[in-house]
Amino acid sequence: MNLYQAVIIGGGPAGMMGAITLGNHGVKTIILDENESIGGQLVKQTHKFFGDHAHYASTRGFEIAQKLDEEISKNKNIEVENNATVIGIYPNNTVVYTKDGQEHKIQAKKILIATGAMEKQLPFINSDLPGVYGAGAVQTLMNEYGIMPGKRFLIIGSGNIGLILAYQLIQAGVEVRAIVEALGKVGGYDVHANKVKRLGVPILLNHTIVKAIGDESVQGAIIAKIDDKFQTIPGTEREMVVDTIAISVGLTPLTELAEQAGCKVEFIPELGGYVPIRDERMRTTNPDVFIAGDLSSIEEATTAMIEGKIAALEMARDINGSDTKEEIEEELRTLALFRSGPKSVKIRSGLEKMGIKISIPTKPIINEKKEDVIGKLRAVLECDEEIPCNSCEASCPFGAIHIGENLNSTPVLDAEKCTGCGTCVNACPGLAIFMMKENEEESTVTLGIPYELLPLPEKGQKMWGLSKEGNYVCDVTVERVVKYPNKTNIVYAKFPIEFKDTVRHFAFPKKESPIVCRCEEVSLEQIEKVIDSGVTDFEEIKRLTRVTMGPCGGKNCKLVVLGILSRKTGVPISKLSHGTSRPPVKPVEFSVFKKGGDDK
Amino acid sequence: MKSNASVVIIGGGIIGTSIAFNLAKLGVKDVVVFEKSYISSGSTGRCGGGIRQQWTSPMNVRLAMRSVELFKRFKEDVGMDIEYYQGGYLLLAYDEKEMADFENNVKIQKNEGLDVELVTPKEIHEKFPFMDLEGVVGGTWCPSDGHANPQIANIAYALKIKEMGVDLNTHTEVKGIDVQNGKIVGVETDKGYVKTNVVVNAAGGFSHEVGKMAGVDIPTYSERHQILVTEAINHVLDPMVISFKKNYYVRQTMHGSFIMGQSDKEPARGNDLGHTVEFLEEMAPKMVHDFPFMNHLHIVRQWSGAYNVSPDAQPIIDEADNISRFIFAVGFSGHGFMLAPAVGEAVAEMVVYGKSKTMDISNLKMERFKGKKISKERNVV
Ligand SMILES: Cc1cc2nc3c(=O)[nH]c(=O)nc-3n(C[C@H](O)[C@H](O)[C@H](O)COP(=O)(O)OP(=O)(O)OC[C@H]3O[C@@H](n4cnc5c(N)ncnc54)[C@H](O)[C@@H]3O)c2cc1C
Ligand SMILES: Cc1cc2nc3c(=O)[nH]c(=O)nc-3n(C[C@H](O)[C@H](O)[C@H](O)COP(=O)(O)OP(=O)(O)OC[C@H]3O[C@@H](n4cnc5c(N)ncnc54)[C@H](O)[C@@H]3O)c2cc1C
Repeated sequence: MNLYQAVIIGGGPAGMMGAITLGNHGVKTIILDENESIGGQLVKQTHKFFGDHAHYASTRGFEIAQKLDEEISKNKNIEVENNATVIGIYPNNTVVYTKDGQEHKIQAKKILIATGAMEKQLPFINSDLPGVYGAGAVQTLMNEYGIMPGKRFLIIGSGNIGLILAYQLIQAGVEVRAIVEALGKVGGYDVHANKVKRLGVPILLNHTIVKAIGDESVQGAIIAKIDDKFQTIPGTEREMVVDTIAISVGLTPLTELAEQAGCKVEFIPELGGYVPIRDERMRTTNPDVFIAGDLSSIEEATTAMIEGKIAALEMARDINGSDTKEEIEEELRTLALFRSGPKSVKIRSGLEKMGIKISIPTKPIINEKKEDVIGKLRAVLECDEEIPCNSCEASCPFGAIHIGENLNSTPVLDAEKCTGCGTCVNACPGLAIFMMKENEEESTVTLGIPYELLPLPEKGQKMWGLSKEGNYVCDVTVERVVKYPNKTNIVYAKFPIEFKDTVRHFAFPKKESPIVCRCEEVSLEQIEKVIDSGVTDFEEIKRLTRVTMGPCGGKNCKLVVLGILSRKTGVPISKLSHGTSRPPVKPVEFSVFKKGGDDK
Repeated sequence: MKSNASVVIIGGGIIGTSIAFNLAKLGVKDVVVFEKSYISSGSTGRCGGGIRQQWTSPMNVRLAMRSVELFKRFKEDVGMDIEYYQGGYLLLAYDEKEMADFENNVKIQKNEGLDVELVTPKEIHEKFPFMDLEGVVGGTWCPSDGHANPQIANIAYALKIKEMGVDLNTHTEVKGIDVQNGKIVGVETDKGYVKTNVVVNAAGGFSHEVGKMAGVDIPTYSERHQILVTEAINHVLDPMVISFKKNYYVRQTMHGSFIMGQSDKEPARGNDLGHTVEFLEEMAPKMVHDFPFMNHLHIVRQWSGAYNVSPDAQPIIDEADNISRFIFAVGFSGHGFMLAPAVGEAVAEMVVYGKSKTMDISNLKMERFKGKKISKERNVV
């Protein structure tokens, strides 16, 4: 039997970083991974990753995998065994795997398990119909094999994975009808949600899927609203015509091998379900076995890599007495800083249950705002969520963007220093940076947006300006298209200045008229027709078409309708009557008023 | 804006535009309508849209029945789909006394030829199993009652009359009526003066004020009524349901939302008085009790409008006898939308022939209040 100093099971970012670290410290290491090539989840990811610039932030997932893979193949201490599925861990650290229909056995001094996680299931009627997929399976088919399993998707779950999948599907040119989310708020990062919202994908909160429809494969889905006890509310069911349903309701660690190796596991929902108990340096209750990555807690590639490194440094100490103490402490500090933001609350409390305390950051989160410079071409940073990422700061050649040492801080622009180069727009993984210049004399604004779709528009072309929610706002004219090698291009277009804070995406005009009021599904054409029939009073247009009369009360489309009316009648918006606002500002349930008011 | 009019109509609500429509149909030229705001800005745009024939006064029953005939033809006559739907009206009774009244009303209504019946709680339950009928002892049911979208109806009339040559002026307020030697000679507006000898007061909530412009004291006043609309869900409720005892009405629009309201205990007087949170607090428990599925339904918007109230809660349709040609169709007391087609027809005939021809509406004259005991329409929410 072959004896290795270290065996790593799972070749995702955690395992790869572990291998590189071990190899660098002179430890003979083998990676076993069941796939044709290593990379784990990263291989499927075509989007740019968030995170610490030092850990490949703003690099696309599959490119991170390529970079790590290159390092691994250069390192003589590391052996990679692909298509190797580990089926069990036996006494005396014996790892058994199958490859080419054959059993293989190896022994190791130390084992790092980095098997990642699997997708959770969701039961609903007909969930076994062909056409219902896990989100990961859709990504694998689409991004690794170039096969598109459907044309019209419904996505269940608005975590980062569901949001990213929606974005990738649209990039691939198919339709995403909606993302359904059981909770009252989006699960993933706002920036990811915004990316898909402005492409016109509605995220239906407090909704669930009731059933898939179809005889031989999915032909539709019935979704419904749910109450705070997750019960469907009768009468709110509605049908959506889709041919594919992608489930992304979370991941849960793959603990089987760790359990077989005698590692104690515990149920800690904050970390993703059953997880192996381990210490700060990733050692499980079996002193020879270490874990890292999604197996230890469902988190991020950045944390997976740091954990893989910490585990490897500790293993190297055990194996050949390498002096890694300082390196470990440095990595632990980076990890703590990374986890110190509000987005890591769950992870922190989960780890605390295991007895691991993350020291509260010594570096405060700073988000002060600086004076804007109107009329100058400059970046507009629309990143208001405290997520651990600093790619914009690192990318700016002029030092105009400041995040500081705590990468959970939101970025601040010094508009004086900004030269309008657009490098940050290109670097931001959240596509949350835009370029803007007001042209006061002609009452227009020029907006530059990150654009990752094909084909690219051309100069002079007319497009639709869409809002943050993906609704039609006004027509725009493309001024300039700047291409970048990393495929995040910047498209600059011009449109009326009153929409400078409204328009955030440009789309090619479609044959059907754009929907202006999404609540009531009223199109531009319907509104123009009513105006052409001689109805030029906003109030009358509203009553005839129902525009602005839906649940949002016109928050999203009122200005757009006034813009259309102004364009058609020549009366400036400021001179038009715009209706009356009536309570409630947001729809409220009857149940709220059932007991009568409580005076405070 | 024309400088000469054969007839000036003050008010572009459902009543004013219906009258103009019928005048144009009778071939009257140079009809001018003044509306101080936009079309459907008055009570019409704020109303529940119910179209009911189950009244206690025979006159109201007849007018409503005639209107139903005309609503059925509205799309062909006026040229727009106004979401008219004959889903019926269900009136609920909660004690023997109320039930006895209902039995009496049904006799009156049947006498006018209305297809209406008494229903038991069991029959109600079979029709509407989703309702909680606790305390209900019976009810009445008229399948040809229904509802429509009042705002679209108002705008439909407006577009049609413009097409027929009526001079419709929105955002134009009548400031005075020029009466000389007992004869109307013109109308003053904030956009100019129009010569005319005939004026129709269809000013809804402002009927009393416009009456005063011509020196006629019309016994009407306005009071606030509140109303709300919910989000849209699948169609479940066919009829308008009314409970006088619990004080509510509710219907589901063709669009899927529910519209509902009540009469406040002491309705505020005047026009456009805003809205109260107490209205929501009072509506919620009774609506959720009777319609349990509404518990998690979202309220999308609340608003209010004016009932222009007359002493007997029936309209006043008349021509002034002390000056020459001042006609009024006012005081609809919360049910003017449903009567508008028939009222428009009758008033246009009054203008052209001196009296209405299709129907005899002489008992809606103002003189009915002189000295006599007032017999009030009771079926009002
Ligand atoms: C759609 C999506 C988007 C994401 N976006 C980001 C992002 O923007 N930024 C970020 O930082 N993170 C992101 N992540 C998270 C990140 O990809 C994961 O946290 C990270 O990949 C976890 O690394 P890992 O090495 O623990 O596991 P994985 O990457 O899951 O790798 C585990 C590997 O082990 C193999 N394996 C499992 N069992 C066995 C066995 N028995 N035998 C052999 N091999 C086995 C698996 O096949 C896999 O190759 C995203 C994840 C997804 C799914
Ligand atoms: C909450 C609520 C619910 C209701 N529900 C129902 C129902 O279910 N069924 C039903 O049949 N009825 C209902 N009604 C009653 C119905 O709305 C009215 O009876 C009907 O709309 C009256 O129409 P109108 O044209 O007379 O009045 P309005 O629609 O008020 O029109 C009068 C118009 O005159 C204009 N005006 C006034 N003064 C002047 C002036 N000086 N110069 C120019 N213009 C002027 C006003 O701006 C207004 O637009 C309800 C009313 C309310 C408030």
